[in-house]
Amino acid sequence: MLVKIIREIRGLPRFSYLLALLTIFGLGAGFYRLYAGLGDTTNMSKVFPWGVWISFDLTTVALSGGAFTLAALVYIFHMHDLHPATRPTVLFGLLGYASVLVILFFDLGRWDRFWHFLVYPNINSALFEVSWCIAIYSTILVYEFSPVIVERFGNNKLLDFIKKLTVPMVIAGVTLSSMHQSSLGTLFIVMSPRLHPLWYSLLLPVFFLLSSIPAGISLIIIGSIVSDYLFGHSLSQRVIEKLGWLAPWVLGFYLALKLGELLVTEELELLFHSGIYSVLFLAELVIGVVIPMILFSIKKVRWSRTGSLVAALFVAAGIVFNRFNATWFAIKPLNGVIYTPSWLELALLVGVASGVLLVFTLISHYFPVFVETMPTKKHLQTEAASLEPAPTPTGD
Amino acid sequence: MTEHKYGFLIDASCCIDCRACLVACSVENNVPMKNTRIWIHDTGVMGEYPNLSRYSAPFHCMHCVDPSCVSACTVGALQQSREGIVIYDQDRCIGCRYCMYACPFEVPNFEWQERLALIIKCDLCTARLDEGGQPACAATCPTRAIQFGRRDEMLNLAYKRIQENPQRYVAHVYGEHENGGTSTFYISPVPFEQLGFPVTGQTESPAHFNRLVTHGTPTVAAGVAIGMAGIYLAIKRQAADNAAAAAEHARPEHKAEEE
Ligand code: SF4
Ligand code: SF4
Ligand code: SF4
Repeated sequence: MLVKIIREIRGLPRFSYLLALLTIFGLGAGFYRLYAGLGDTTNMSKVFPWGVWISFDLTTVALSGGAFTLAALVYIFHMHDLHPATRPTVLFGLLGYASVLVILFFDLGRWDRFWHFLVYPNINSALFEVSWCIAIYSTILVYEFSPVIVERFGNNKLLDFIKKLTVPMVIAGVTLSSMHQSSLGTLFIVMSPRLHPLWYSLLLPVFFLLSSIPAGISLIIIGSIVSDYLFGHSLSQRVIEKLGWLAPWVLGFYLALKLGELLVTEELELLFHSGIYSVLFLAELVIGVVIPMILFSIKKVRWSRTGSLVAALFVAAGIVFNRFNATWFAIKPLNGVIYTPSWLELALLVGVASGVLLVFTLISHYFPVFVETMPTKKHLQTEAASLEPAPTPTGD
Repeated sequence: MTEHKYGFLIDASCCIDCRACLVACSVENNVPMKNTRIWIHDTGVMGEYPNLSRYSAPFHCMHCVDPSCVSACTVGALQQSREGIVIYDQDRCIGCRYCMYACPFEVPNFEWQERLALIIKCDLCTARLDEGGQPACAATCPTRAIQFGRRDEMLNLAYKRIQENPQRYVAHVYGEHENGGTSTFYISPVPFEQLGFPVTGQTESPAHFNRLVTHGTPTVAAGVAIGMAGIYLAIKRQAADNAAAAAEHARPEHKAEEE
């Protein structure tokens, strides 16, 4: 038995050992925070009650937007050629949300009551809405991913049943996603006195929803190219090209809306006269919107692997920047207090992120996550012996 | 309908920064001094020697007319009572600290040092009011800088004092219109931003904008769901039509090829 376990562990990719170590370390830091309270372990304070954990949560939810975007494209807009990307993307989305829930748990003052949102509703609260949507949507993601697990155990009846419900479930998932992606923007509506006017807008929910679409797309592209290195599997360049083609449309609309809003509320001059805030705002738009919009509009870039990767990285950096601005950099400091996270706050983040990657590795090691992706050369060499005939596309 | 029965009038020209109200609040609510629900804003030392001055004023929850914290709280732990008091249910609170950001007056604090931490917020000494008493902070203040009574009386008193002593006060009652109005009024010899109070000029409560958006959400969600279903069906039908058309077109040629 022991020998078998050791053999299994040795069969895992090397980097998973490092991930495991980081996970244990980070969760240890998290449990210490539960024991010691938030005051001594974090740098949050009365004037900065939310720290980098919330910034991470908002960023991760946006980057996990690939799951609902792709589900909508494949099942609702019938772009079936994008289907190969669904499994890894749904799994990534699922794990992204899981990491958000874990971090939130450590963030709550009364973590022992995390379930209270289920029984004590406040329908006016954006955070209440976000909690519910994320809870239900995570369940839907589990459902969308379940064929992978069921397939492994070969229960065909169950598989057929699951597939029948796919379209209604996808519609529910897309609806819930648009709700919580936008509600995360709504979160700041009530914070009007604290958020800098360049970011504050009654359209925040729309901005958050719109920006999560290219964010999700870019993460599918990045994920695909990274998994080429790590797992020897990747999407075909045709799928990547098609995804990249979509990006400029959404980015352009987003940019127009953002600038249009400033124009209508007569805040356009803030764009150049708010000191560091102008720099942050412009940098966010140039890096995350303008540059990738140009890059993704060039056919040659979309057809090149490196080109797509670079453009996608710009989008992702932009979204990280945007969410960190809204939750941290663009929150007006009070009494000159500026927040910077403590090492423990960062340790928990690193730990949870590593944990998520570790689980991703393990699941894709044992379950058919990459069935429709293209095994790349490296993969063919190492696992040539174990290649089975490709199963038919699933989930339609 | 909420009545907004009670009110405070806090006069910064009377406050001597003795912090008796902080002690009274901590005793009344049986919490350590670092968790008291009332704190002091002050101007710092102003002017040039020998004409130095320094002003201070205690602050606690303003008991807003349209409280943003209530509208934000994830689990409804903050509620407005029928008498307009914003009360806090510590058995519900999950410690998410959203109310701290939502409050435009930067009032609620948090038990940062506790293992299971809750929000720190004034409940207007509800227990004492029920017995017909005054809130502990108001009852204790030796200079009567904190006065408590009916809301309309406090507001009138504020204006009366300013009118009778226009050289002593700036001509503004802080709390009357700020963020949709509150039940705590301040008068002061110096502008309120110098005392450290948030001054934005906004006279509508952030809660108002919050409701505007959150109440629209279900409609938008229904729209998304219906739109998605519609698109799905439309494309599916078109694809079926196309396929049928294509099949009809293609059939003879295909046959020819096969043969
Ligand atoms: S002052 Fe702040 S905590 Fe008090 S009722 Fe108003 S919003 Fe709520
Ligand atoms: S910290 Fe407590 S009172 Fe404040 S919003 Fe969260 S649940 Fe409500
Ligand atoms: S009214 Fe009571 S709870 Fe509120 S600040 Fe005064 S003493 Fe404290």
